[in-house]
This record gives sequence, structure tokens and C-alpha cells, in this order.
Amino acid sequence: MEIFYQYLETISENFFDPKKRVFLGYLFSAFLISFIWLTFVKKEKIKQSIYKIFDKKIFMSKSAKADYVLFLLNIIILMFLSPLLISQLAIAHFVFEYLHSQTILTPLGIDINYMWMIPIFFTFSYFVLDDFTKYVTHALMHKVPLLWEIHKTHHSARTLTPLTIFRTHPIEGVIFVVRSALTQGIVIATFYYVYGGNITFVTILGANLFSFWFHLFGSNLRHSHIRINYWSWLEKILISPAQHQIHHSIKKEHHNKNFGVAFAFWDYMFGSLYISKSDEDVKFGISETEHKYENNIIYLYLSPLIGIYKLIANYVSSKNLKVKKQKFIFNKQTR
Amino acid sequence: MNNIKFKGATLAKLSFVGAVTFSFMCSSITSVNAGHHGNVYGPYPITEKSYKGTKKNSVSYGGQMARQLLHNSLKKLASKGSPSDPTLAPEKKMLAYLNTKDKSKSLPIMDPKNSSKFPVKQKMIGELSGGANLSGKADKRIQTSWPGNMSGVDVIKFMIKKAGKTKGGVDTRNGMNYPQLISKYTMGAVLYHQACDNYLDEKMTASSKPNNKPYKKGAYYTGKEHSWDEAFGYWGAAAHTMKLSAAQSYDVAKKKDLKAADYNKDGVVDLQTEMTYAHAYYASSYDKKGKTNYLKTVTGAFIDGRKLITAADGNKLSEAELNKIQDYVQIICSNWEDVIAESVFKYAGSVYKDLSKIEKALASGSGMDKAMSKYLKHWGELKGFAMALQAGPDNKSDTFNRMNRMMGFGPLMPNLSQVVGIDSSGNYIKDQGSSIGYYKLHMLKIQNLMADKYALKAKVNDATGGMAALLEEVGTKKSAEND
Repeated sequence: MEIFYQYLETISENFFDPKKRVFLGYLFSAFLISFIWLTFVKKEKIKQSIYKIFDKKIFMSKSAKADYVLFLLNIIILMFLSPLLISQLAIAHFVFEYLHSQTILTPLGIDINYMWMIPIFFTFSYFVLDDFTKYVTHALMHKVPLLWEIHKTHHSARTLTPLTIFRTHPIEGVIFVVRSALTQGIVIATFYYVYGGNITFVTILGANLFSFWFHLFGSNLRHSHIRINYWSWLEKILISPAQHQIHHSIKKEHHNKNFGVAFAFWDYMFGSLYISKSDEDVKFGISETEHKYENNIIYLYLSPLIGIYKLIANYVSSKNLKVKKQKFIFNKQTR
Repeated sequence: MNNIKFKGATLAKLSFVGAVTFSFMCSSITSVNAGHHGNVYGPYPITEKSYKGTKKNSVSYGGQMARQLLHNSLKKLASKGSPSDPTLAPEKKMLAYLNTKDKSKSLPIMDPKNSSKFPVKQKMIGELSGGANLSGKADKRIQTSWPGNMSGVDVIKFMIKKAGKTKGGVDTRNGMNYPQLISKYTMGAVLYHQACDNYLDEKMTASSKPNNKPYKKGAYYTGKEHSWDEAFGYWGAAAHTMKLSAAQSYDVAKKKDLKAADYNKDGVVDLQTEMTYAHAYYASSYDKKGKTNYLKTVTGAFIDGRKLITAADGNKLSEAELNKIQDYVQIICSNWEDVIAESVFKYAGSVYKDLSKIEKALASGSGMDKAMSKYLKHWGELKGFAMALQAGPDNKSDTFNRMNRMMGFGPLMPNLSQVVGIDSSGNYIKDQGSSIGYYKLHMLKIQNLMADKYALKAKVNDATGGMAALLEEVGTKKSAEND
């Protein structure tokens, strides 16, 4: 019974905790931004704008329904897997202890007059570094064939809704939990060591100040059919909803572009940036032709495992036959 | 844009209300059983059947209160050392408070001294007991936590000798703060050791000090009554502790709250029954922060145990009664041990912080006298409590060995020297220690060790506690989600 309550709590936490992206407040702000965009920028009628935002064909599509089911099922799977994973506290302790045995990074003596800057600097640094590790992990999910097999689950979505973030294979969920724990553990322990424990997060409603603004200003529109693009100069700094929608596009020229989450400059720096074009048509998914079972839950869970098995089997057989090795660890031609 | 700002603010408010409502719905309200014993330790009637005298109260722990005051006085005197005194007067005076049984009532109580703000009833040690000293009750086992393979009592004598020759009792060359070392170690080697490794240990078995016989010939209390009282005296709580808050008990020990101390309203503090000492004081210092309830848990168990013994009415305790007594002993000694472990944890954190300040001072070339003074004081408290922890009945040799190894025999000095032993003349031998970073790491590991091996809750000065709180604030992902 306790597990059941824990399950319900985890579901509701996603919508009521301002640290979560699909917090109701952020969904509401996404609606407001969409409405303003369609009504005032795209000059559509109010009624038409609202119909477009809550388009039944999108929210009740087979693809969206699969997202909802995966959301509910994955929570159960993660409830059992999470306790087995290394905690961010264990990582933080390890890093914090390690820092005492090295001499390159030493604790800083901060002038009392500048102490107020530390929480802001720490909060911003954490947000930037967290975003960077998200970029790297995301890029690897695309570039490494084994990981791409897992990440395909997310990209198989034909329609995008804010809940498409939960269209994720549980193995990928585990990868993201580990990424998050590593980032939190390393960054917090390092700052804690350097600033001698004088660090705090600047928060709004308990959420990181910058995460709060990122979510409040439409992070949920990344996974939506509302194409909002920024000025091209701004799209080199911040990822617009349209840029992430391009990332989900089936067009070959859009493949392996715009891995960034909040910041676009990672893509700019590493050559994966794609600036959106207002007249560009974007269709979501992995391929043009729809797979018969692409929204079947069992298929969504099993196909990445089958894909991985095939990759390894292919590698082993190519090795035995002494033909050109099939790469499955690193391959630039993943998509 | 203004419209968006307005909606944003409204949204923030709505979100806040939603979050608060949700938190309220989801949170379960827990209550803490405060355990209201609501009574005072004594008086209890005479149950010893062979006693024919006129006494009405069987409670007696004057010797223990005398030892509490000998300990207080010794700590005061340890800071009066003088390297230039050829008569060795400071050392002799301290030894008097270690060895003398003040039959003649000539040994003045050094702390607490009588004052208008905190008037005390007794002025001489002998007014509490003329037959109690500290040295006779100190731990006789070999102490591996201190160099020289000395017994507990010899360690105290060694420290006293050094303190007598050290200005202010603080040896800045070797890093020894003797008032702290002597005080904290004596708390363990005499007070805690006698209570938990003697009176509540051997003397609570069926064959030792039975309840159907006087403690000694002609005594007005039974064997078990007096053994229990003695242990209570070593704990150091005022008899009316259950009627006070932890903060009040703390202020009583600090001589700041006469009203709370003076239970019988006679205008003076009876140092026998109305004062908070040593271990009870440290328990109150943790409890007043609200996370623990050591003082009342231990004192309550003492009261409940004493009531059980009194209820036996001078008869031999049954097996069931002895088992119940063992339950109380378990509560008392495990919580007592945790209070000492909390202190080791706390001062390891203090030492960690002090070393950070010293590191910064070394890097910037600024003065570090104040930081050094605090460091040596805190290290003395850390070492003293760590040694005290080893004076109990439970020989956690692996834990103690690890703790001693990480702490060393002396603090790591800024020039990275550290005491590693003593020569045949009693002089410290020093060697090059690790880096300050490594020594700080040892402090972290000592905190981790204490947290792992003991049921700590207060965790004052947790060097990594802030880090854990930050991670808690960030939260963990419980859903599989993409970005």
C-alpha cells in the first residue's frame, strides 16, 4: 500500500513540484506564451488559437497516448531501479574527500563584501554545467549506435506534447538519473569545497532561479506543435522551441542537430547548431514511413533491446568473418 | 510584456498556493512522545530492613557530586600553569584535586563559586563528601589513545604535570590545550567509566550488591539502591531535571538561571541536587537545539529504574526486575555513549572549520593567532571526548583504532609537525604529519565514522551536512524523462 502511495506521490509531484518541468504552473505559462504567439504574432483569431493549442489530433494521437502510458509505467520501473543506482550524495562525498587530497584546487577566502555574489554565481554555474552535461549526454545518445537504439524510443514520437519528455526507454531514464547524480555530486561538492560551505541556491518556489525562468518561459513548448522561433542571434544563445522541434524532424538535414536543452551555444561551439527557418515544414519521427507497432508499448520497451542485440551480433559475426567491423560504440552516421 | 509580467506574478502566487496545499495534503503529521516522567530523583523511602536509624531518604550520591566538583575545579586550575614557578605549585594544586579526599573540608570548590547572581550552598568539596577523590575511580586500563602506554589515571597525571608547567595550560608548540584535554578525558575516565563500566555493569547483576542487603555494613540504603544512585550522580543531572527544559538545564550549568536551579526555593543552589554537570550539560546542549532528547531520556530512565528498585522494598530483585533494570541500563548507557559520540562529531567539525581558516590565513599571509587558539581548544575537546568514549564498557576496538589513527596524538600544526609519541623523560616526540587537506579529510572521516557507528541525531558542525542539504534541495529524478 505504501508503494502505491509512493507511486501516486511521484506522479503528482511531476505536476505540483516547481522543480519539475511539467509543473502545472509551467504548463499554464506555456499555454499563455502559445496564446500570445498565435494571437498577437501570428495574428490568428482567439478561438482559432485556443483550438490550435489544444488540438485534439495532437493530444489524443496514438503517439501521445503512448507517451502517457510510458509516463505511468516508467515511474514503476524507476521506483525499483533507482535505489540500486549510485546516489548523488555518495558521489559528492567521494569528490569532496578527493578534493582534500589534491593541491590544485584550494578553498578560497572570500571578502565579506562579495559574499552575496556567491549564491548567484553558484546557482548560475550549476545551471550552466548541468545544461552542458545534458548536451553531452544527449549528443552521445545520438552518436553512439548502442545508445541511439535506446534513444530512438523518444524520437519515435509522431506528435509532440509536453508529456513527450516521458516517452523514454527506462534504460535511458537510468542514464539520465546517473548523469544528474554525477553532475550534482561533482558540481556541488566542488563548490562546497572551494567556498567552504558558504553556498546556497537562489530559488523561486524551491526551484533553481534559472531553471524556474527556463521553464516559466516555455520549456514545455520544445515538445509541442507550436513553432516559436527566436531571432537568429538569440538562437545561437538559447534553444528555441522551433529548434528542438527541428531536432525531432525526420529530414536528413535536421539529423544530429540542436542537442542543447536551455543553451544553444554548446551546439554553436561543437558544430551541431541549426537555426530555425520560419517557412520550414517539420514532420516528427524517425522515418517517413510509420512502423506498424511504433506506438505499441511492448514494442517500445523491447525494440531497443532487440536493436542492441542485433548490433552486437552483427559486430561479432563481422569479426569472425574478418570483414569490415560494424561500429557500435562510435559512429558519426547514426542518423 | 506588462501583461506577461502580471500573469507571471499571479501564476507564481497560484503555484505557491497549490504547492502549499499539496504539501499539506501529502505530509503526515507525526508526534513525538516526550515521555513525561514529571518527577524528581528522590527523595525515596528507606527500604533497607537492617537500618534502625532516623533517616527518611535512601538517596545518597554525595561522593559523585564531590567528584563532579573536583572535575570542575581541576579544569579551572589547569589553565593556571606557570613555566617559571620552581615550586610546581600549579601542579601540586591540581594533584590535590585529583587525589585528595576532603575530610577536613579544606578544599575550596573552584567552580561554581558563590556569587550574588548564582549563590551556592556549598563552598568546600568536603561539604558534599569527605571520602571521594578522582584518582581512585579513574580507568585503570592501558590507554592506546594516548602515547606512552599509560593507565587512565596516569594519563591524567601526565597531563596535569604538563599543564602545571605550561602558561595558561595551552602548549602552542605541541598543540596541547590541557584544560580541555584534562576535563573531557576525566569526564570519560572517571564519570562515564564508573557509571557505565562499574555501577550499571557489574553491580547490576544478581550476585553483586543485592537489594536485600545494605550497600555496606550499617548503611541506610540497599546495595542496588546505592549503586543506582551513584551512577545517577556521575550522569550529572539536577534531581529536578524532568521539570526543566533542556535550555534551562543548560543555563543552570552555565550559572545563568538561578530560578530554574533553585528547586526548593531556599535562595541558594544546592550543588548536590540542583546543579547540572558535565555529561548532563553536554546532553542539554544538544537537546536544546531540538533534534534530540538525551537529557530527559537518560534522566527519566534513571528515575524509572530507581522507582523499580525502591518498589522492591528491600527484597532481592527478581529475574524479571533485573531484566527490566537491564533495559534501563541499556537506555542510559547507549544514550550516554551517543552524547559523547555527538561531541566527538561536533568537535571534529569544529577542527575542520578551524583548519579551513588556518589554510586561508596561511595562503593570504594574514594573522592566525585567533584561529590557532580556537583550533587548539577544539582539538583538545575532540581528543578528550574521543578518549572519554573509549572509557565505556563497550570496546569498539576497530572504531577506536581508526579514530585514534586519524586524530593522532596531537593536532597537526601549521608547520605540518605532529606529536607522534613521548620519550622516556615524558617529552613529546614530533614528526612530519600529513598536509592540512589530509588532516581535514581525517576529520570528515571521523564524523562519518561516528555517524556510522552511533545513533547520532544532533550532528552539530556537520562538515558535509550543508552539502547533503543542497543535494536534497536539488532533488532526485524519479521519472524517466528526456530533456
